[in-house]
Amino acid sequence: MSVAQLAGGRVSTALRRAARRDPLVVAASIVMLGIAVMAVFGPVLAPYDPDALYVGPISGPPTLAHPFGTDDLGRDILSRVLVGAGPSVLGPIVVVTISSVLGAAIAIGAAWFGGAVDAVSSRLIEVLFAIPGLVLAVLAVAMFGKGLLAPAVALSIAYLPLVARLIRALARQELAKPYVAALRVQGVGGAAICFRHLVPALLPALFAQATVGFGYAMLDLAAISFLGLGAQPPASDWGVMIASGQPALLTGAPEQAVIPAAFVVITVLAVNILGARVTAWAEGGDR
Amino acid sequence: MNPRVLVQLARQLGSLTLTLFLSSVVIFCAVLLTPGDPVSAFAGGTRPTPEMIAAIRAEHHLDDPVWLQYLHWAGGVFTGDLGTSYVYRTDVVDLIAPRVGITVLLVAYAVVLIAVFGVGSGIVAATRGRIADRAVLIATSIGMALPTFVVAILLIWIFARVLGWFPVYGAGEGFLDELYHLTLPAISLAVLYIAYLSRITRGAVVGQLHSEHVETARVRGIPRARIFRRHVFLNASPQILAVSGATVAGLFAVSAIAEQAFGIGGLGSLLTEAAARKDVPVVQVISLLLVVVFVVLNALADVAIAIIDPDSVKPRRTA
Amino acid sequence: MTAPVHGPVTASVHGPVTAPVLELDRLSVRAAIDGEARTLVHDCTIRVAPGEAVGLVGESGSGKTLSARAVAGLLPEGFSTGGAIRIEDEDLAALPSSRLRDLRARRIGMVFQSPRAHLNPLRTIGDFMTEALVSVAGAKPDAAAARAADLLAEVGIPDPSRRLRQRPGELSGGLLQRVMIASTLAMDPRILLADEITTALDVTTQEEVMAVIADLRRNRDLAMLFITHDLALAGAVCDRVAVMQHGRVIETLRASTMRADASEPYTKRLMAAALPEEERGAGADSTTGAAAPVLAVKDLRKVFSVRSERGFGTDRFTAVDGVGFELRAGSALGIVGESGSGKSTTARIVCGLETADAGTVTVMGDDWSRPARGAAERRRRARVAQMVFQDPYQSLDRRRTVGQTLAEAIGVHRPGLRRAELRERVDALLGTARLDVALAERRPRALSGGQLQRVAIARALAAEPEILVLDEAVSALDVTTQVEILTLLDGIRRETGVALLMISHDLETVRRLCDHVVVMRAGAVVEQGVIAEVLDRPQAEYTRTLLDSIPREGWVPRRRLAAARTTPLPTVATAATRTIRRGDLHE
Repeated sequence: MSVAQLAGGRVSTALRRAARRDPLVVAASIVMLGIAVMAVFGPVLAPYDPDALYVGPISGPPTLAHPFGTDDLGRDILSRVLVGAGPSVLGPIVVVTISSVLGAAIAIGAAWFGGAVDAVSSRLIEVLFAIPGLVLAVLAVAMFGKGLLAPAVALSIAYLPLVARLIRALARQELAKPYVAALRVQGVGGAAICFRHLVPALLPALFAQATVGFGYAMLDLAAISFLGLGAQPPASDWGVMIASGQPALLTGAPEQAVIPAAFVVITVLAVNILGARVTAWAEGGDR
Repeated sequence: MNPRVLVQLARQLGSLTLTLFLSSVVIFCAVLLTPGDPVSAFAGGTRPTPEMIAAIRAEHHLDDPVWLQYLHWAGGVFTGDLGTSYVYRTDVVDLIAPRVGITVLLVAYAVVLIAVFGVGSGIVAATRGRIADRAVLIATSIGMALPTFVVAILLIWIFARVLGWFPVYGAGEGFLDELYHLTLPAISLAVLYIAYLSRITRGAVVGQLHSEHVETARVRGIPRARIFRRHVFLNASPQILAVSGATVAGLFAVSAIAEQAFGIGGLGSLLTEAAARKDVPVVQVISLLLVVVFVVLNALADVAIAIIDPDSVKPRRTA
Repeated sequence: MTAPVHGPVTASVHGPVTAPVLELDRLSVRAAIDGEARTLVHDCTIRVAPGEAVGLVGESGSGKTLSARAVAGLLPEGFSTGGAIRIEDEDLAALPSSRLRDLRARRIGMVFQSPRAHLNPLRTIGDFMTEALVSVAGAKPDAAAARAADLLAEVGIPDPSRRLRQRPGELSGGLLQRVMIASTLAMDPRILLADEITTALDVTTQEEVMAVIADLRRNRDLAMLFITHDLALAGAVCDRVAVMQHGRVIETLRASTMRADASEPYTKRLMAAALPEEERGAGADSTTGAAAPVLAVKDLRKVFSVRSERGFGTDRFTAVDGVGFELRAGSALGIVGESGSGKSTTARIVCGLETADAGTVTVMGDDWSRPARGAAERRRRARVAQMVFQDPYQSLDRRRTVGQTLAEAIGVHRPGLRRAELRERVDALLGTARLDVALAERRPRALSGGQLQRVAIARALAAEPEILVLDEAVSALDVTTQVEILTLLDGIRRETGVALLMISHDLETVRRLCDHVVVMRAGAVVEQGVIAEVLDRPQAEYTRTLLDSIPREGWVPRRRLAAARTTPLPTVATAATRTIRRGDLHE
């Protein structure tokens, strides 16, 4: 038996065991893996040029040649969905990364220094929290024009309070624990306490929050595109496809809007399932 | 209510007012940060003469210091002069006023749905055994992944093609017809928030059900319904109220999507259109309105919570 | 059960001959934990006669709380019982649920460990007191309110009508516990289930509450099942005592003769832990009296600002007020006081975790009154004074193995140590704390409370300090574990010559370890001196009260509410650090 076979066997039994214990999480992981593959290799996998017109009939139903049918300009929906995965996933990743890093930095600073730093940053967080994320994104579009960049940056700022509130509360809780006092009494320096003890203690919660935030960001960015303020036609962005497929709902070709919508829903559902799991794991570490 | 609570409440409301003020500054700054000169925006496509530029600058107070411009703009909340649209060249107030009603109605409709089904299903999940809990958990998991635009297209598809019970376009005439027309938009707005509020309610109620004071009530033989009403739901309600401000403000924002999908000419569709045409003054004022909604609702929630739980405004440790 | 039978025939040691008010007949409690069925209580048989008080004593995990909760119908979901529970000869398992609820409401009164958690914070005391009367017994609200006021007066709460309008947040823990007891009386129960009801209270407050209970039992012929970890307390207030270990009742003793009658080695160990060992004569060495002071504290003062009750402005809360004492090299000094006495704040100031507002802290001739400036000075101080905290689990970083925690503590003072040397030092420290070196690979979660506290001690010793500050270091532990840790600390003091500064609410703990003692109250020193003199011939009235309130044979609890605090302490992070001993169920 080769090493590869051995490893393969072990992996498959481990998978089977995980599938039995937590089938939803395994299913969600598989979905996310599929979405990731689409996001990276979408353009390679697409059977047609997503922007090529009239590769099939106008608003054609699903066939073998076009499994998801064709849209009102005769473009292949499968190809467009595959190519659209990339930008649809990249946007939320940017939003989550920026909001997590900035939010955590502000929160840890506030909890660590307390006093005026805490008061000022908490006030800033409150102010940002009062403006709904979608509105901030729309305001950004009004200022800088249509496209996904401005809304993504705006959402990064809009999500920052959610991260900062959570992490600040957890950081304060952690700093109040006697082990931190013990480290101080031992003569361990502030930087070492912060980066070797405090930050690792907060990472699971930060990661859990990021997973949840990814789902929200995906919905908000798709909504921006649906409103016609984000990615612009003919881009094969899922939100744009849903919006431009809407008229066909009334003419008996629902797949133009429903299929990209299904991809949004399934991705967010999978992310939420994983997020719930990650949150439970992060909270479990505290017990 | 005792004076300590009132003082603390006043402090919280003061803090909310400060938040409102700072948010309005942030929103006001949008105009300053926008690339390009407001003058050319007001001038539209034409190349303005120096006299026109001077006239525009004077009319829109562009030569005033920034803080005075802010005061003029923010003061408009009281004077009714909220600036001029770049696109329509009319007062923003005149654009907004006729459209507020339909959006408020839509959001109110959605709020009723959310309160009834969100809180209701959360209570069912928390109190009606494992199977109910599971069912609600699955339903809310799916609901949390159903944004307004997806629900909207599903409803349009189903009701336009298959069922035809509800209109899928327009706002209708007269109150009852409006309600009838707003049913599908309200559902599309509500679904995700129903799931969200259901989760919040379930968590708050379960937390109270497992609390020690409820244990005491059980040992004392207090009837179940009474325990639920007076010890479980009452104590859980501050947690539910606490998210109400952000939820309703969010609904006003998301109503832009429902209005777009169902062709309703409300505040939301104005917001979308203004953003698409870079009409910053209009977007600013609508943003400010939503912040006001957020702050006012949070203030109301704070008062309600203080009535239920005076200790929530307990003195806190300072040093 | 081999204990001899003494006394009147109506109440043999196996239980009363008359119909018991409560009978646990071979009660077992089972639960599915991680998908595995486990029996947590085995064949527990206890009978409580009318008017009798039976103590149920055991350490955490012994199943004593579970047994009481089974009676009250408070077992968590997924738990099941075997055997029978009878209240006045009615088998609870045979009753329909409405009848069962009614029986429990009218026959049982249950009082819990933490009254603050067990009262709805949003409802007034009056509402709490009258709720059962109105909704179960169908009383008119006015009549119920009058009765509530009478009951509060009966448990000795001054100004009951004012208290009825207040919410739980406005009352001190001791008063709340009285409210709790009064509320159980509303339905004239036959038996009181008392689950660790004084564990979260100070000793003097404990005495108050026990005095109230003694009066009630006398006046009302009330039976009681008294669950506690404190064998001396149970012996002092009960007629009989059942000792539980690992889910079984291992023996049942008559309280008045339990010291002589105990036959199980475990019971004897509990007694040895709970009762003072005069013959050990404390840790006092005659030589230490002359040694130079390593720590001298003078006129120490610390004031916290607390946001005012009025809602605006701040109130000043003086936590430490003019405290002074000396700790001599190689000796052990105890600081004793109740919650709010300022003892922990004093300890934290010594270790640099708080800064004093006035006064001096002198350590081996250096002035430590100001906070350390810079990393080098912080490390220098760390080599001199170390600290062990109360909560053994929270005082270690849960993500790090024991070995990593110790290695970090060593590394602060000896950077650049080679791995092998480090490993050797870690093993040596584990050895000093009498821990298996294999534990170095474990994380805190896999260790018991006693083991965790040994790790914390080993970590403190990594710096080879001159002073070891113990802030309630054993009070979260089971009594038998406490004795082990105290013995370990005493041994370490003798071997290494480290001076101990022990902060404790428990006079007996201090007596075991210390040669000198400082008694504190409300931020000030009440009395100090050589331990034997202070504890055996107390000069201050307060010290005498403290000593009198310790349960022992022939103890009669007395009410002294006039002196007790009736409102909660201001919420300052450092005040009231005494943790609540959690019930078996939550361990």
